[in-house]
Amino acid sequence: MRSNAGGIAATVVALFLGILVVAQFRSQDVYSRSLQLETPSSLTTLIANLSDRNNSLRDEIFDLRLRVTTARESVASGQGSLSESQREIDQLKIFAALSAARGQGISVKIDGAFDDRAMSDLTNELRNAGAEAISVNDVRVGARSWYGPGPDRTILLDGRQLNGPWTVKAIGASDVVYVAITRTGGIEGQFELIYPKTRFTVTKETTIDMPAVAVQR
Amino acid sequence: MTTLAATPDRRRQRLQHAFALLIPAVLFGFLVSAQWQGQQERSEIAVRYNAPLTDAALALQKEQDDLKAQLQDLRAQLDTIQTNASSQSGAASELEKELAVLKAQAGLSPLTGDGVMVQLDDSHTVAAGAANLDQAICHSTDLTDILNTAWRGGAQAISVNAQRVVSSTSVYCVGSTIMVNGTLLSPPFNIAVIGPQNSVLGAFDDPSQLRDIKARRDVQGLGFRVTRANAINVPAYDGALTVRVAIPQ
Repeated sequence: MRSNAGGIAATVVALFLGILVVAQFRSQDVYSRSLQLETPSSLTTLIANLSDRNNSLRDEIFDLRLRVTTARESVASGQGSLSESQREIDQLKIFAALSAARGQGISVKIDGAFDDRAMSDLTNELRNAGAEAISVNDVRVGARSWYGPGPDRTILLDGRQLNGPWTVKAIGASDVVYVAITRTGGIEGQFELIYPKTRFTVTKETTIDMPAVAVQR
Repeated sequence: MTTLAATPDRRRQRLQHAFALLIPAVLFGFLVSAQWQGQQERSEIAVRYNAPLTDAALALQKEQDDLKAQLQDLRAQLDTIQTNASSQSGAASELEKELAVLKAQAGLSPLTGDGVMVQLDDSHTVAAGAANLDQAICHSTDLTDILNTAWRGGAQAISVNAQRVVSSTSVYCVGSTIMVNGTLLSPPFNIAVIGPQNSVLGAFDDPSQLRDIKARRDVQGLGFRVTRANAINVPAYDGALTVRVAIPQ
């Protein structure tokens, strides 16, 4: 009787053990990405980013509707669409970095150790913050620009050697771009941790001038 | 005599039973607590805010797709007006030609050509809670490094999961979610690169390039593959141009 009771107890424990092992194994499933697994904080940031992008699209749609109407009326009245075409050319030249540009923005002075991958990350962050034109040491960054390591701790931009200290300029809404770069946990703060001996100075500028991209392959 | 001899035997038997149950009992306790902790962590993530926030993000992404379609339609309408007008005068025709060249350079026209396909993917063998998880999944910096290498190799046009890479393109990462051109993307990332094949392949094969990605592929099983491909289609950029502050000089 006693041995029977012991056997039943052991069976029950073994059964639970088996179920738990399987459950635990399944919960250690292969990693997969899903929005549902993001933290509320990450989701809120994503939503803010999507909203900003959608607002930019709405602004451009509004602008394009007006331009389509103006161009139609202009063609119908026999004036052609020269002014509209010229306006689009000017816009595309700025967008593709094919013309020199002027405007408000920010400058980031980097004095000390830095490298090409960090410069690429900074460029990416400035673009994400809404920078419309970017230059490093007065060399324009284009759509197809690339960075690489140069000799003696210099940085190559499209094969051109840039010596430190580096000044990165970005034309764009200066308040927005400044906050994006200097916010708590932002890229400036990250750089200060990674390059503790390097001095980063971010300033808002009322007027920045930069040349067109040197090489458009 | 018999009784005295049976007593230590029974004790030994009881001890054996107790030990036999002790090990599964300890394991049982360990697994119950591990399972309970796992459930607790998941329930923290699945708090009441996640479902509505996820729905809001997906709704905004859907709205973005619709807005991009409207934008493409309006750009096509403007193109048609300008093309028709270009037949009316020589000056308009010249501007139309210049516009077509600029649109191609800015990435506003689709392009087909030979090049290479790069695929970047999370490891399919790494467990959700693994210590090396960070090394086995793709990050936004991996994508920017790959784009940098492709441009260095002479790429003419690039897209990431059908998002054209242009001068305003950023690769943005929040949590484990990656956005390109402000659009939510999931792995695998298929990077289409149009350009001189040997030169682009040479850049990717260069041992000094993408060292970190190649090491994680070899050790942690990160998905990274570069293949020669012909007649690759790279779509036109369908986002906003956002030139509001910069003035041409």
